[in-house]
Amino acid sequence: MQNFWKALRASSILGAIGAVTVLLFGGWSSAVMGWLLGTAAGYTNSHDGLWPKPKIGAQMGAKTGLILGIWLAVASLVEGLIVRPLSGQTAISFPQALQYGLLGLVMAVVWSTVMSTIQSLTDPVQRRRMTWLLMALFLVVFPMVDQRAATGWIATVIQILIFAMLALGLNITVGYAGLLDLGYAAFFAIGAYTTGMLSSPHLGIEWNFWIVIWIAAAVAAIAGLVLGSPTLPLRGDYLAIVTLGFGEIVPIVFRNLTAIRIVEPISGLFATLLNRPELAICLVGCEEPLNLTNGEAGINPIGRPSLPFLGTFRSDNYLPWYYLVLLLVVFSVFMINRLRVSRLGRAWTAIREDELAASAMGINRVNVKLLAFAMGATFAGFAGAFYASYITAIFPSVFDFSVSVIILCMVILGGLGNMAGVLLGCVIIMGADRLFLPQLAQVLKGFLNTTVLPNIANPALRDFLAISFDPIQMRLFLFGLVLVVMMIVRPEGLVPSARRKAELRSEDPVVNESLADVRSV
Amino acid sequence: MLELIDVHTYYGNIQALKGISIHVEPGEVVTLIGSNGAGKTTTLRTIQGLLRPRQGKILFEGQDLSSSSSPEIVRLGIAQSPEGRMIFPRMTVLENLEMGAFHRQDKAGIQADMERVFTLFPRLQERIKQKGGTLSGGEQQMLAIARALMARPRLLLLDEPSMGLAPMLVNQIFSIIHEISDQGTTILLVEQNARMALTVANRGYVLQTGEIVLTGSAKELQVNETVRKAYLGEE
Ligand SMILES: Nc1ncnc2c1ncn2[C@@H]1O[C@H](COP(=O)(O)OP(=O)(O)OP(=O)(O)O)[C@@H](O)[C@H]1O
Ligand SMILES: [Mg+2]
Repeated sequence: MQNFWKALRASSILGAIGAVTVLLFGGWSSAVMGWLLGTAAGYTNSHDGLWPKPKIGAQMGAKTGLILGIWLAVASLVEGLIVRPLSGQTAISFPQALQYGLLGLVMAVVWSTVMSTIQSLTDPVQRRRMTWLLMALFLVVFPMVDQRAATGWIATVIQILIFAMLALGLNITVGYAGLLDLGYAAFFAIGAYTTGMLSSPHLGIEWNFWIVIWIAAAVAAIAGLVLGSPTLPLRGDYLAIVTLGFGEIVPIVFRNLTAIRIVEPISGLFATLLNRPELAICLVGCEEPLNLTNGEAGINPIGRPSLPFLGTFRSDNYLPWYYLVLLLVVFSVFMINRLRVSRLGRAWTAIREDELAASAMGINRVNVKLLAFAMGATFAGFAGAFYASYITAIFPSVFDFSVSVIILCMVILGGLGNMAGVLLGCVIIMGADRLFLPQLAQVLKGFLNTTVLPNIANPALRDFLAISFDPIQMRLFLFGLVLVVMMIVRPEGLVPSARRKAELRSEDPVVNESLADVRSV
Repeated sequence: MLELIDVHTYYGNIQALKGISIHVEPGEVVTLIGSNGAGKTTTLRTIQGLLRPRQGKILFEGQDLSSSSSPEIVRLGIAQSPEGRMIFPRMTVLENLEMGAFHRQDKAGIQADMERVFTLFPRLQERIKQKGGTLSGGEQQMLAIARALMARPRLLLLDEPSMGLAPMLVNQIFSIIHEISDQGTTILLVEQNARMALTVANRGYVLQTGEIVLTGSAKELQVNETVRKAYLGEE
């Protein structure tokens, strides 16, 4: 019975998320959500082999799928018959709306049942393998489904995956090693600019993307070492401030590297002393100063990857980009997982716990911290390279402080130190930011223009409403609100690592102390 | 085995060790006693390379340690159970012990030492999955000593192993120290509890505000007038 309530609750939360999505996007989105959330519902339904028999698991899955499906179906009807006309879109007929809704329902039931049945397999290895297989299937097939259903989410999903890589990387520095880095976007910028400089007609160097991405990662890693070294003696707040400074400096440097002329120093000194400029031996930017980064205007265009049969990736075909970034994320997850359980990973945990004790154990504090920065930065380098090539243009303003903060929020929201949590945090924040808010803005605007404004006589009030009802403008406010609520209600994140959870939830004094240190992050 | 020659250590401008010279021979238990702030912890940190002496020499089996980093020193065979235990509170007992063997690669040897440690401290084996921070004070002390032993040190530095423990546990800890010494590990023991320290030690040094003021065999120190007054609390 208790299990039933748990399942009901889980599927209703998912149902509410699905319903909101369908209300905003309408159409085939209910089918896509049915598939996605049905799979999720089946998964939350019964971990740890709660249902010993596949048959019971299947039944349970069907039930949760049904609850979820009803949410979707109702939302489809409401969207098609009420929201659409009110927000100025063309209404659709009842049978059409019903068709969308039922399709969502069927998808939810089918996939929830399948996943739930898998979860009730007794053999844990088989269970895990099947679960992974199903998730992999979802990820691989997603672009086709997205295309078919005309939901048009794939561009956003690619962005989400770029940020997933960033969040995973930052999780190394902040989550594993406990070094608060507020300037992480700097490494993203370094990866992107390295790619920009090495594969763009701007400087006349157009190397192959497949080589440049490795160089970008390496350059970012070196930058990680450079940033890491002055922070070694620092702790907590001081460390955060130094990283913050680094994060501010890097975009400014890229903005200003527009007129470089390097003179050989000794002859340069003579030239100045004797006041005869022609004596100086010029090394770089002799005829005219070298414009390395093109300032505010940025570097454009940047070379794209190409593959033997596919040719060069095109901007109107998302598929190759999607699979490439998916591959990069999978690669990152794999590598970071290996790192986590390695000697280095254990050393990170040890210095996070107690630096002095860790050095007494013979852990090289300096190397371990530097490697935490460098490893974290490496993944930002990959992400930056992909980003530059995908967008084909980069500007210094893209990499400002708010990017570092957003990535940090993903890590904290999902659960410091837990990769699944971090990925979830990323999907939630990016999904809300890039997918829901813009769509919500559009629907609200339509609603204002067709339903509200025509009925308001006072022109001043009308203007005021037209301007102030824009959720996009409230983006950072909503963001802050979510974080504040999160830190009060669930400071360990959505999916905390087992260790952090123990730290934060028990009554033990040690635990209270660590509560303080997580909160001060 | 270990020799400190005229070691001066500073914290910034504050001089904590004003030229101390001590030596420890293989198989010995040597104790360093002294009141609060005498520089005992500083001495151990200097030996382990966590602090650098500004002057003087530290020789371990004839090798000069003054330019070695603490990871190297651990690898050479010196491990420490630090003052205030400093176990990793969020790691389990097992993980804490594994951290002690961090620099070692020999799986079989680590396993053997793990068993050895569990025969010395059966309490830890019972609590192998418990988080370090949730252990009682005495258990944490055992864990700190056990963790140091996991490095398979030839010289074990113990900083106030009896601090904050009930008399019963103090006795137990000291008998374990005795046992570790019998198994062939050389020990440098720092203690406030001079009485107990002098019962297990062969020799002792008395440290006062950064200087060695007295040295001798444990027996001599036990009957020494100054020691009796200042550290054994006798009239
Ligand atoms: N990190 C530090 N910075 C500055 N001074 C320090 C530091 N640590 C210790 N000291 C000073 O060095 C001197 C020796 O300290 P130490 O910790 O070695 O004493 P101790 O003999 O271990 O004392 P206790 O028995 O109380 O542990 C003291 O005067 C102390 O104030
Ligand atoms: Mg001390």
